[in-house]
Order: sequence, then structure tokens, then C-alpha cells
Amino acid sequence: MSTTQEPLLSPQLMAQLERLELVTRKVFRGRLKGERRSKRKGQSVEFADFRNYVAGDDLRQIDWNLYARLDKLFLKLFLEEEDLHFYALIDDSRSMDFGEPTKLTYAKQLAAALGFVGLIRTDRVKIDRLSSTLRDRGRPWRGRSSAWRMLKQIEEIEPTDEVSLAEGVKNFCLRNPSQGVVVLITDLFDKEGYEHALRYLLSRQMDVYVIQVLSEEELRPQLVGDLKLIDSEDDDVAEVTISAPMLKRYEATLAAFVEGAKSYCARRGMAHLLADASTPVEHLVLNYLRSRGLVR
Amino acid sequence: MSSWISWTNMLSWWQWTILAAVPPAIVLLYFLKLKRQPRVVPSTYLWRRTVEDLHVNSIWQRLRRNLLLFLQLLLVGLAMLALLGPSWLDNRLIEDRLIFLIDNSASMSAVDADPTRLEKAKEQAGEIIRRMHGDDVAMVIAFNDAAQVVQQFTNDRRELLRRLETIRPSTRTTSLAEALRVAGGLANPARSADNSNPNDRQIADAMPAALYIFSDGQFASVQGFSLGNLEPNYRPIGDARTNNTAIAAFETRRSDRLDDRLQAFARVEHYSTEPRVVDASLYLNDASEPIDVKRLQLPAIDDEGRPGVVGVEFTLREFTEGVLRVQIDGGDALALDDRAWAVVNRPRRGKVLVVTPGNPWLELGFQTPDAALIAEVEVVGPAAAASDAYLKKMSEGAYDLVVYDRTPPSVNDDPLDSLHKMPQANTLMFGAAPPVGWGFQELATDPAVIDSDRVHPLTQGLELGGLRFFEANPLQTPQGAASLIDADVGSLLAIGPREGFEDAVAGFAFAIERDGSVLVNTNWPTKVSFPLFIHNVLGYLGGGRQALESLSVQPGRPIVLRSDSSAETLQVRDPAGDATEVRRSSSGGYIYSGAEQLGVYELLEGGEVRQRFAVNLFSSPESNIRVQAEPVIDIGYTKVVGDRREEQTKVQGWKWLVVAALAVLLFEWYVYNRRVYL
Repeated sequence: MSTTQEPLLSPQLMAQLERLELVTRKVFRGRLKGERRSKRKGQSVEFADFRNYVAGDDLRQIDWNLYARLDKLFLKLFLEEEDLHFYALIDDSRSMDFGEPTKLTYAKQLAAALGFVGLIRTDRVKIDRLSSTLRDRGRPWRGRSSAWRMLKQIEEIEPTDEVSLAEGVKNFCLRNPSQGVVVLITDLFDKEGYEHALRYLLSRQMDVYVIQVLSEEELRPQLVGDLKLIDSEDDDVAEVTISAPMLKRYEATLAAFVEGAKSYCARRGMAHLLADASTPVEHLVLNYLRSRGLVR
Repeated sequence: MSSWISWTNMLSWWQWTILAAVPPAIVLLYFLKLKRQPRVVPSTYLWRRTVEDLHVNSIWQRLRRNLLLFLQLLLVGLAMLALLGPSWLDNRLIEDRLIFLIDNSASMSAVDADPTRLEKAKEQAGEIIRRMHGDDVAMVIAFNDAAQVVQQFTNDRRELLRRLETIRPSTRTTSLAEALRVAGGLANPARSADNSNPNDRQIADAMPAALYIFSDGQFASVQGFSLGNLEPNYRPIGDARTNNTAIAAFETRRSDRLDDRLQAFARVEHYSTEPRVVDASLYLNDASEPIDVKRLQLPAIDDEGRPGVVGVEFTLREFTEGVLRVQIDGGDALALDDRAWAVVNRPRRGKVLVVTPGNPWLELGFQTPDAALIAEVEVVGPAAAASDAYLKKMSEGAYDLVVYDRTPPSVNDDPLDSLHKMPQANTLMFGAAPPVGWGFQELATDPAVIDSDRVHPLTQGLELGGLRFFEANPLQTPQGAASLIDADVGSLLAIGPREGFEDAVAGFAFAIERDGSVLVNTNWPTKVSFPLFIHNVLGYLGGGRQALESLSVQPGRPIVLRSDSSAETLQVRDPAGDATEVRRSSSGGYIYSGAEQLGVYELLEGGEVRQRFAVNLFSSPESNIRVQAEPVIDIGYTKVVGDRREEQTKVQGWKWLVVAALAVLLFEWYVYNRRVYL
């Protein structure tokens, strides 16, 4: 079982994360005033549009220059700055409990780093799990002061049996109707496929980032001999005789699977990232995710 | 490699039973082992997709891909094969020092082997050379009546083969003795150092060597030779059923009267179990058509193995000089002896000096017309003979014969005096003797002649009955001398060798001096035998023989040629047309030793032919090319039996199987540790 011996985020990494902010490719409507653009027009400094003056409007918003030119009364509208809803959805199935460090640990570190960035920027951060049921609404976090509670929540996440990717995503969408940025951290190894799950997210018009985390033993298996492989989730058995051609064939199958997921996501406006669990999280966040546009 | 393998069982039945259970046990363990190792993986999703086309659940697929199982079974299989002790016969060499004696004598030119016996011998020797191992050394010696080292000890097989190919056939006879001495000397160098002297370096120890003799065996047994460390192997070349017909002799002889009639005699030998009819054709000079043909009925070999022999005679008239060639029908295996030559040179008269104080009978005998035909006789007195002029001529070999009648040769012991020495010529002395080795015994009166040598050329054909001497001194003869006329008191006439010449000494004179009077000492001049004796003397000692007979030698033998010329060098032209310079020897003759080809040679002076001589094989051992059915050669006390079969040695194969098994074991270890799979 995975137990986090060390803190999820080191002080040095936190210091580096304070300089980042989450970026979304879409403009969403947040509830509170945050450092975000919102589609709702409100009282901010960024001009949005004009409309005709009607009785009862705020006279301070009348554009007098336009009146001077057109001899008509128009109101200047401004975009309302709202906060961003950031969701980190962690796959806590048994298949994530492999590797050194485990994929689940890696996923938790990644979620903690991205969540911390959101909290610093007063974004609304919610950490969720695929195994959560509809009743497990969870609570969002906001602001720097919530960082330790958020980290504590993440640390308590443990691998769980009978977790279905599609079911988990569906429940997540039902629990969280707001739009926002969702980072799905998973290995995508669901025998029912990942397509259903991702379609749920698309239906919510979320800004979806799929970070596929794979361990060293999955990317470059060091198996030998005649083996009976047992699936950690459903105890499915596959008997194999490992040979060089077999390993080559596995690598080809894996590459095709990853490429298939990337292509599926790209066609649907989702971002797909392959993360090697042996790569340090800070490297992934500070370099890779920055280059992919999730943080800046 | 031989085609069959023999097996030697090294284990008992119960041991084999245990061993036989090992391979199935390995397979069984592998099947048990194939109860696979369980391994929990995050997901079998990708693995299923990977193997779905490979049908890995098939047992044969498992086995096919299981390299380690195969290697272990192979290892056990090799070990079991090794325990069966396979071995086979192989034509490989076990010796590491080899000596090849290749016979290239005349008989090895026989074509009963493909293409010739010599080529067959070289081919067999080459096969052995190719089987030599890396460090083996070998030597090649070609031999006929002499031995020639073709290649010294070397381990360079390519060089050995190359040098082997350079061996050419010769026309010489065969002698194995010298070849064995050369081989023994090179293979077993004798210690010539002093064993008692610690500072004296010793020569290398003799090392064993295998001696391969490739020959048809046409040579005499080798006496007095010890093989020592030589291990002989005789490989007979040729067929026991090969027939051959040869011209064994061909001579010409003028009639005694030296008229223009010439008789040519040829002896033909037939080595075959079947009689044969051949035609003997006589050719004159370079004519393409024979001048005479005789049909010969050749009998077969008799019960004692002697060949069938037939003689043939040709008579030529009006023939003074030229080259005769006799030829028999070919078609047998050896063509070298199907032709023979005889040359008839223009008669050269011998040069004779008679030194006598006066001997009418002797002078008359040497100055007959018949004598004048074969010799040029000069008669001088003792005083003239002692003069420097004559001494110089005698010392230069100007004469073939010097006859001393009651006058000893003028000789002293001064080594610096070259004139007062025995003449460079044969001598005949009456009542005188050479100063060294000869002597006279006590004078005997009325000695009775009891015997004479009727075979020696000097006394052949002489009837000496009634020969009387008043007095005579029996002779003291040197070693090697032969008595020609024996009397009751001892030898009265003898002949002995002297440095290339011969001295014939008579212990009597024709006349003796008594009280101031010259008395006749013998009645010989009145006998018929006296002029015959003189004729024999002129022919044998006086150099006139060449006028009567043709010159012929065997190949490889030196020949002394005499010429009227006083030139320091002359030339000899061989049958191929190549000329060689020959120098005049101290004895006055020209010694030529390059007679290797069969045919007619010419002695040239200034481009003109002075004389001719022939080189013929004339060797019954060489012409008798029938190889013994069970060939054996005697070398000293060792009988070496010929063996045509290749020697075969037993090669143990189990060693190679063990090596292979070890290699498989190493490879299996490598596979297991490196996780390398096919």
C-alpha cells in the first residue's frame, strides 16, 4: 500500500509554485470575484460592450463622448473579473498503486502542486477522486490559508477497489456542475475504455487536461520467463512467456495505446500528457506543464 | 574421414538406465516449472492486447520458445553420446617429423600409373603433406643413383608442395643407399663433440622421424645402414603386371682389319609373362627411314624370373663414322629403353712411345701395318727419352702409352721436379718396373708358363702354349694389380693401376746381355700370340680402342674424352643442343659429367665436331619395371614391407563431444544470465 512518507510538496517546490498561475484556454463564469475574466459583464476596468440607456441604469456608466457624437445615451459595459474553478480528479484505483514511487503518490503530488498554484491565485480548488460517490460532495478550497487542509485531504487518499473510470468521471460531473479546468490524473487502464469517461467531461465543456501517469515497470517492463500476470483490479489472468520479441511487441502496443489516447483528446480539444512516474513532479509542473500551457 | 564409427560403451546397464531418465526428467521439470510464476501487474489490459495474436497458451509454442530447455536437453544428449565412446578411423598423421624420399630414376617414368609413376609418387606425398598439422616438419629428398635435398625441414606446407612439384624425372639408375644416408644424416645428426669436455657444445639429439619412401623398388638392398630413429614406410608405386621390352645393350665393332665394314650388336630383353614379337629398326644418323629392320621373337620371363633375351646383329658396309640408332616397337610402359644409340667416330690412332735401346722384335711388332692403323708409334732410345723434351711431352700426356724396354722411367723423389715423374700415360715395361709399388723377385731360370688371364683385354685370345723364357724375374706387384701371365715361379706379366693410368709390367726382357753379347731371352716373338699381344696392347693401353669401339656411358656417369687437340677447353653439346665447356684434365683427357639426357653428345673444338659419344640407359634393373607382387625392400637388417593403403589411426570422438557439451553449458549460462532469448 502506498503511504506518503514525505510531504507532498517540499518547501522549495512551494516557493517555486507561488510564482505560477493556472491558465485556462477557455473563459468561464466563476461565482466570486477572482483574478479571472468572466463572461458575465460587470463592474471592472475592462471594457466589454455598449447598450442603450434605459431608465434606472447607473448614470456613472454613460459614455458621454459617444453622447456628444451621436446625441444618444449609451451605457459602457465592463467584464466582471471572477475566480477560476480548478478540479484535480485523481484516479485512485488499484492499478495506480504500482511503481516506485507509486502512480497514486505521483498523482497526489501533481494534484497538490496544481491545487497549490490555484490557491495562491485565489482560484477555487477542489480535489476529487474517481472512487467518490454522488454523496461525497467534498469541499472546495480557496486561498493560501486553505493549502494545508487541501494537502491533508490529498494525503488521505488511498487506493480503492472497484473503481471504474467512466463511472467515476460521471459521478464527478454530476457532483460538480460548474465549469472550469479539470485535470484528470489517471493511467487510462480501464478495460471498458476511456472514451466514455472523457466524453462526460466534454459534455460539461470543461477545459480538460488528461495526464496519463505510467510507472517505470509499465513503460519498460523488466519481466522474464514464463509468467502468470494477474490484474491488480479485477484479478484477470494473462499467461505470457516473456521474450525479446514479446517485449518489443508490448512496447509497440503501449505506444499505440498512448498515441490513440493523445489523438482522441486532440481531436476533441482536450490536452493529453504522458507522465513518467519516475520523473520528478517539479520537473513536470515547472517545465512540461508550463510548456503545454496549463501553468504559467 | 572413414565412413563408419565404432562405439565403446563406458557405462553399465543400470548406469545407462539412470542416465536415460535424465532427459525426460528435465522435460517434466520444465512442465512443472511451466506452472507459471504469478506476478501482479497494474493491469493486464495491454498484455492481453500484446499476446492476443501469439497464442502463447499453446504448449508447443512454449517449448519452441524455451531456449534454456533445449540447451539443457542438448547438453545431456552430448554427454550421453560422449559416454558411448564414439571413435572412427582417420587418415591423419601421428608423426610430427617426416622425410619424403621420392624416386625419380628412369623406371619412374613408366606410364602404368596416371600419368607417370613419378607424378603418382608426388601426388601421394602431397596428400600426406596436406595432412600435416601446424607444427609438423617435413623434408623432401629426390633420389636416383644420387640424392638431392629438394627441401630441408620446414613446417611450411605450401613450400613443401611447391618444392615437391619441382622434382623432374631423370634417366639415371636407382640407388637408395645414398638417399638413406642423406636422410639419416639430416634427421639424426651425429654427435661430433667431445662428451668429456663440459665446455664443448653438443649437437641436437636425434629425434624420431617417419621415413616415407615412394619408389617402384628397382634397386638393390641397402647393406650396412642402420635406420636408427627413422621409421620407414614404403609406398610402392607401379603395377606388378606391367610389361616392358628394352634394348639392354647396343655396340658396334669394326672388323679387326679396320676395313669399312661395321658390325652393330643389340641385346633386347623382354620383361613379360607373355612372349612378344617386335621389330628392331636400325637408323643411320638422322634418317627417318630405317636402313635395316629385324623381326625378333621375344620369349617370356622364365620360371626363375629372368627376362626373355634376344640378340640382333646388323652389318654395315662402307661405313666409317656416324651415329647409329636402334629402335624397337613402342607401346610398353617405359619408352626410355626402346631406343639406343651408338656412335662410330673417325678412328683416332693412339700415340705410343717406345723407349728401347734396341729391340727389333718389339719394334717390328709395333710397326706393322695393322699396328699403324690404330696407333702412331714412335721409337726412341733411352737417352732421348731422358731428355727434357721427351720428358715434358710425357708429363703433358702427349702419349697414350709409353713402352719401356729394359729402360726404367726417369723418375726422382724431388716434389718440385715435374719432369722426372712417371709419364701421364699408360706404360708397358719389359725388364723394368715402376719405382713405386713394383719389384722383381729373385731371377728364375726357364720359368714355365702355367696360366694366363684369357679375359683381360691384354691377354685375351692369346694361346701361350710353348712360350719359353730363358730367364725371368717373378714380379712383386702393388695392391690392386692383376697377374696376366703366371709361371711356376710367380707372375711374369701383371697390370696395376696408377692414378688414372695403368702400368703393365713384364718380369722378362726379349733379350739379355751376357758377356757383352745380346742373347734372345724368349721365343715369344716367334709365336702367333706375340703380334696379337701387341695388337691388344695398342688397343687397350695405347688408346686405339676408341678406334675400334663406340663410346657409351650410362646417364649421370662421368666420361673421359680424349682428343688430339691440345686446347685447354673444349665444348660438349648435348642432344638438346646446349653446349657445356670442359677443361683438359691433368691426365690429358676432358672429363664431362653432365650426361643426363639419353642420346648422342658431341665434343666440339672451334665449332667442329671432334668426337661423339652416346648415353644410353642400358640398365636391366631400371628396365624391369614389374613391381613385386609383395614389395619389400631391405634396409640393413630391416625388411620394410610396402603398403599401398593409407595408414589409419583411431580418432576418439568423445573429446569433441565433451568440448561441445561444455560450449553448450557456457552458452546456457550466458543465456540465463543475460536474459537473451531467441
